[in-house]
Amino acid sequence: MIVDINCFAGHWPSRDLKGDLASVRDSLRRYGVGRLFTSPLDAAWHRNPHLANDAFCRAVEAYDDVSPVPVLDPTVATWDAELGRAAEHPDVRLVKLLPAYSPYRLSEADDLLSAAADAGLAAICQTRLEDRRRQHPLAQVPDVAIADVVAAAERHAGLVVIVGGARFAEARSLRDRLLDMPNLYVETSQMDGLDAVRALVDDGLAPKLLFGSHAPFFIPYAAVARVVTDIDDADASAILGENALRLLG
Amino acid sequence: MRVSEVRSLLRPPWPVLDVHVHPLNCFGPHRVEDAATDARLLAVAGKRSGVEKMCLFSLHSTCPRQPTMELCRESNDYALAMRDAAPDVFLPFCYVNPMYPEESVAEIERCVAAEEMCGIKLWVAVNASDPRLDPIMRCAASLGVPVLQHAWNNTLGSTPDESTPADVADLARRHPTVSIIMAHLNGAGLRGIGDVADCPNVFVDTSGGDPESGITEAAVASLGSTRVVYGSDAAIRHFGTQLAKVLGAGLPDAVKRDIVWNNAARLLPSWAGVRPMERRAT
Repeated sequence: MIVDINCFAGHWPSRDLKGDLASVRDSLRRYGVGRLFTSPLDAAWHRNPHLANDAFCRAVEAYDDVSPVPVLDPTVATWDAELGRAAEHPDVRLVKLLPAYSPYRLSEADDLLSAAADAGLAAICQTRLEDRRRQHPLAQVPDVAIADVVAAAERHAGLVVIVGGARFAEARSLRDRLLDMPNLYVETSQMDGLDAVRALVDDGLAPKLLFGSHAPFFIPYAAVARVVTDIDDADASAILGENALRLLG
Repeated sequence: MRVSEVRSLLRPPWPVLDVHVHPLNCFGPHRVEDAATDARLLAVAGKRSGVEKMCLFSLHSTCPRQPTMELCRESNDYALAMRDAAPDVFLPFCYVNPMYPEESVAEIERCVAAEEMCGIKLWVAVNASDPRLDPIMRCAASLGVPVLQHAWNNTLGSTPDESTPADVADLARRHPTVSIIMAHLNGAGLRGIGDVADCPNVFVDTSGGDPESGITEAAVASLGSTRVVYGSDAAIRHFGTQLAKVLGAGLPDAVKRDIVWNNAARLLPSWAGVRPMERRAT
């Protein structure tokens, strides 16, 4: 089964996205995606992203194959209560951090990450949502440094930390850290370039790669193509779903 | 769904002609020793995504933004050597620098008129609104080949002489008989599409940037189905992730077929040996 660990549903202010949950789910199922770990896109620009989680979790209840991934923000005073609600939700395995959109530094999220580890949740730290060259000029958001995500994973060895939105070169630069750190993973949605995923697999990273689509920003065909085109079935199956199922159930 | 079934879903139902490809010695994870190896690896990688033909331009292995004409000649020799290694795949374009208009025209005559390259590539050395491009464009008109011009609307700012879609529109109006392929649909964005909408001699290639949803549909809605052509920007980008912008778009099959083959086939000179497959979509 193909498991998408990094997709969204909702609205985006500077683009017309087909972002309603039903459309996102249909667009991914067309290419065989059988399980979606989905976050509320509206949280990115919400002054209190936690307020986007409730309605989103209710919308997700309509689908057995969609798991909500709430967005948590350590600079909102109620983060611990929000984390508690996430931990109690039967379908939540993963929480998402959007540090650049609050904004905050990942070092400010240490208490939240410790609590997530204690609750048995994994965390995905999104390094970017848009190519900076393509952002609205009045809504420029910097990327989160990959090194900051790795440092957070080092401080929280008991927490599964997924780097969301890493580019190919960034992922490749993490090779040694990914191989050394059992709790560090990277998802594939923004890796591009000829033979990119194949090069990472050749580096021994197949067990550390998790399939992500970045839908509805990106076209699901691309997400699948970058994984299945250049590598063998066993490695593709691991990246497309087996690795995620092992981590997130 | 098994991996093999997923691959079947992705396979293009038609052959694909990619108008925007660079050698591996310019970009990408591969280190290649010679043009023949470059040609083999690139052709095989394209084939895995269904790409049969590639318009190829080298920006030189050192990729300077303002190359000397000597570097341009080396780049073009490399592209010709790749064509020699895989003549059924590669359709090389002649790379020149308009800072040197007379030498550029001489290089175009060497590469296009004598060596049957299939077009002209302009990058970021000189802005498209600059009159130093005019002799190059007149040469393109007389030889009947398209000019592929880099363009980008960059929120972070352009490099000093980088062209925007508005600059390409200026170029197109000065030379209405030359077919101009404006590179990088994503870079142009929704505003850039509008900049060239009333220039019927401008065609937009889908290459470069992320595989953003909706962008190709927007281009077809504004420019019509015949003014959009598939390009990848490989090896910077993956053939398949960029092909997604067409095959994964919400467009009729006939339009997709035109974008991945027919529209580009109509732009190339007869010696490219590329013919449209069927009548154009309505």
